[in-house]
Amino acid sequence: MSIKQDIIEIWNYRDMVFSLARRELRGKYEKSVLGFLWAFLGPLFQILIYGIVFTGIFHNNMPNFYIYLMTGILPWTFFSDSFGQGTGAIVYNAEMVKKIYFPREVLVIAEVTAKFINMLLSFIVMGFFILVSGVGFSLEIIQLPLIVVIEYILVLGMSFIVASVTVYFRDLEYVVHVILMALIWGTPIMYELKGINPFLLKLLYMNPFTTIISIYHDILYYHTPTQARDYLISFFEGLVILILGFQIFRHLKRRFAEEL
Amino acid sequence: MPFNEDITIDVSHIVKDFRIYKDKSHTFKDRVLFRKRNAYELNHVINDISFQCRRGQAIGLIGHNGCGKSTTLKLLNKILYPDSGTITMRGKISSLIELGAGFHQDMTGRENIYINASIFGLRKHEIDERLDKIIRFSELEKFIDSPVRTYSSGMYMRLAFSIAINVDADILLVDEILAVGDANFQAKCFSKLAEIKAKGTTIVIVSHSMDQIKSICDRVLWIDNGKIREDGPASKVCDHYLFAMNKAAEDRRIEEAREEGRKVLENPNHLYPFPKNAEQASNMSDRSGNMQIRFEDVRLEDMNGSLCQQFHYGDMMRLCWKISENPEKKNCFCKFEICTSENRPCTEFDSLKDCDKYFQDDHACYEISIQKLLLGSGSYYLNLILLDEKREVLDKVQHAVEFQVMVTEPLSDGLIPLKAVWDCQEDA
Repeated sequence: MSIKQDIIEIWNYRDMVFSLARRELRGKYEKSVLGFLWAFLGPLFQILIYGIVFTGIFHNNMPNFYIYLMTGILPWTFFSDSFGQGTGAIVYNAEMVKKIYFPREVLVIAEVTAKFINMLLSFIVMGFFILVSGVGFSLEIIQLPLIVVIEYILVLGMSFIVASVTVYFRDLEYVVHVILMALIWGTPIMYELKGINPFLLKLLYMNPFTTIISIYHDILYYHTPTQARDYLISFFEGLVILILGFQIFRHLKRRFAEEL
Repeated sequence: MPFNEDITIDVSHIVKDFRIYKDKSHTFKDRVLFRKRNAYELNHVINDISFQCRRGQAIGLIGHNGCGKSTTLKLLNKILYPDSGTITMRGKISSLIELGAGFHQDMTGRENIYINASIFGLRKHEIDERLDKIIRFSELEKFIDSPVRTYSSGMYMRLAFSIAINVDADILLVDEILAVGDANFQAKCFSKLAEIKAKGTTIVIVSHSMDQIKSICDRVLWIDNGKIREDGPASKVCDHYLFAMNKAAEDRRIEEAREEGRKVLENPNHLYPFPKNAEQASNMSDRSGNMQIRFEDVRLEDMNGSLCQQFHYGDMMRLCWKISENPEKKNCFCKFEICTSENRPCTEFDSLKDCDKYFQDDHACYEISIQKLLLGSGSYYLNLILLDEKREVLDKVQHAVEFQVMVTEPLSDGLIPLKAVWDCQEDA
């Protein structure tokens, strides 16, 4: 099948994406007492802990540091959850993949979409904190949907790659966890980019998430306008990764049923 | 070949190999350190299969285990991709291969209908339209809002089947699943299959049950070693397949007996043992009569005198039998009946009428040769009857021996194969 036919077919299965995403989200919280509240409580406690560590122990004296932390860590969690669990998108659905036909891309898209919805929900908590802390919102907020979409594109592309390669090479699941552990320090989430030496800064900018998280900070924390260049770079990085990931996935999916 | 609107499945020269890893390793360490271990052998599962199906046609795929029929179905379903060759499918595909894939245990039956139907590519509004039909067909009205983990396995399968069959697909792929629910529900499934077939859905079925295949399919492909061995009307191909299967089983039995050093002749081909003891014999459900004189042994042989249960149309068939001791030297005679597997009598041989001869000797071997076995394809039984002079039944053995006949010549189907010439030329 041509790429065009593939994309049309995935589009025709869009209801499956939402069914699976809903199943994942509901399945995740269904059995717990607090249920969906955990979607908010999880990030809340995460920020609380990081906040205490960085202000209490490391004596970070940025004003409203926990807002800075929050605006970086929530988009990061979306990525690390999707990328980390994306390795299992095909492998853990082996029974389905081996037994019935549907465009396999749907599994990855559903996985990423579920995490994406999770992030949007946690943004509600974040909005509340931004208001209470006095940081407030500025007009830059209208750019938020743009960066959210760019991040989704990039994360989807990366998830396509790990989901398909893991089928042939199961170690990737663990490799990805190591990468994530390292990458969280290679992204300006718990520190500012100001005052970092130029060489290190160059290195940091090789990580596409540095730009993306910086844009989140610009919009939600600093309230400073972002250069159009940064959006363009992120967007093209995302697009290239998505096209690459989609092609790798298309190529590898033909033998999924045999390798599982 | 001209493009035909009616062709829904077009399979052209497909080949599929499976990799059989000598020692499969998925981890990086193994891949690097033990490169040689990644060696694999290719197993040719499908070796150049081509066929076409039309709208409203039901095709059965039969063959022994591992012959490639399920693989063919998976290739049609695009779960596997062929290594070469092309498969063109026109229309929406639904499969009854794995029922209930993607069911979530904690969600209600109704919610699972939405998830499962969306896996078949249905849009939400399409599912809304079908929801009532699906629930009604599954007979789960009362339980539809309970989580499926509370369902019995029968209820689970019923729900899954109802979803898959109500997709309104153009092509339906079925793999050995018609063991769903109780007899009533099964009957319902069969009539539903017939209904959607009449509506123009192409159905492809894999099954080991020749009865199922014969009742649903018009056409059968017999797949053997990754190739199509025969393609034709369902009843004919099924009979040929059964014939070959029985022959293979018989050959294997003889081979095993030979390996074990037993004499093959001591291992005759009747359906159940013939006890020497009169009391034991009279207790058998398929035997009746006063047992004063009994059949002791029967064998069915081919023209070369070796045990045989599979005959071709027109072959010679020989039946040998022994009778037990006959101390009073009573005159007795034999009758042999051939009947179909449905117990319809076909023909009868009567020693008194045919040769006016009585049998008196103990343990002597007698035989009757049927010079030309002119029967249609299918399974048959032999009934043995031993009578005394007053026509009183001494021993009657129902279904003592089973045998199969295969017609390979171009003759009509049915019990009596006839040769016919069609003249279908239209008058100018």
